[in-house]
Amino acid sequence: MSKSTDQALNKDLEHKFVTELENNQNIVHKVCSLYTNDRESHNDLFQEITIQLWKAYPKFRGDAKFSTWMYRVALNTAITLYRKSKKRIKTQDYESVIFKIKANEYDDTEERQLKLMYDAVKQLGDIDKALVFLYLEDKNYTEISETLGISEVNARVKMNRVKNKLRTILNP
Amino acid sequence: MMDELELLKKDWQKKEGQLPKLSYDQIYRMIWKKSSSIVKWIFYISIAEFLFWIALSFIPTNTDELQGEGAAFLRGLENVLEVASYLVIIYFIYKFYQNYRKISTTDSARDLMKKIIRVRKTVMLYVWFNLALFAISMIVVLLEVLILDPPQALTEKISAADSNIVAWLLVGLFFMATILFFGLILGLFYRLIYGILLKRLNLNYRELKKLEI
Repeated sequence: MSKSTDQALNKDLEHKFVTELENNQNIVHKVCSLYTNDRESHNDLFQEITIQLWKAYPKFRGDAKFSTWMYRVALNTAITLYRKSKKRIKTQDYESVIFKIKANEYDDTEERQLKLMYDAVKQLGDIDKALVFLYLEDKNYTEISETLGISEVNARVKMNRVKNKLRTILNP
Repeated sequence: MMDELELLKKDWQKKEGQLPKLSYDQIYRMIWKKSSSIVKWIFYISIAEFLFWIALSFIPTNTDELQGEGAAFLRGLENVLEVASYLVIIYFIYKFYQNYRKISTTDSARDLMKKIIRVRKTVMLYVWFNLALFAISMIVVLLEVLILDPPQALTEKISAADSNIVAWLLVGLFFMATILFFGLILGLFYRLIYGILLKRLNLNYRELKKLEI
């Protein structure tokens, strides 16, 4: 294959990838908002996930949906590959992008309950967060078990434990 | 609880509109940035470890000056150790590269963690092998010195003690302690790198593994 065709193919791949990611970027933003606590780390993680997605893209066959494939790479990056800096872990502000609470937004009981729930989810461990995230994204247990690499039964067991954990955090 | 989590789910999906929105150009620029993932770090640290031990093997030893009956045997032993260590280096680099290439972000979380841990294990095994080799070489060198070319001060002290077996034992113990000390320091150094880098990953992996028992 000549060099110019190669380049044209690469350009095509780049364009396809960036367009798909632009359309599905919500998934990545949601992962970032769960796993980071401030704007800077959010962008950091988004950057890393983008790099990992791009690196894995040539092997993406298109037999799965782009978004399904994204969940896996994004969560893997957040749980396993991303190196949080110590400084950022210490800052305990829960002001992440999606959870930004405006003072008057959460005044009735239901809203206050929600804020407590979000705070509780943020306190969970990496794996538990992933379970909650996939649950909130309306994924079934088959998908959850495949993404994490555990059996479906164990995914259910784990999910129940997470629910118990959340309950304890909410009612100490 | 179920209801609360359902409530959260509805709110979560409602919040989509509040998410940041990056433009095509912003994302395009991102794909050319350098990754700073843990896998990258492991790769660089492992390469550094390989280079460190390879460089160490190039430090010249002066066994040629030694003479006497045992010298030829000890020199032979040193050569065998050297050839063995080169073979082992080649084996470990090959194994490391193989394991490293298997890492894929499209695996399940558990498989991905397992593969990363395996890469690190290969390098750790290499480090332990080198520490063992280091200890053996130290013993060989010490034997050379003691048997073939003992320092005068030492010989005098030992003969002053009537070549007492205790005196010899003390010398032996002293050298053993030295070897152990260096071994521990180096071992600690590597555990530190290994521990800091992979602490969170190991924790998460154990959590997933525990589920499957």
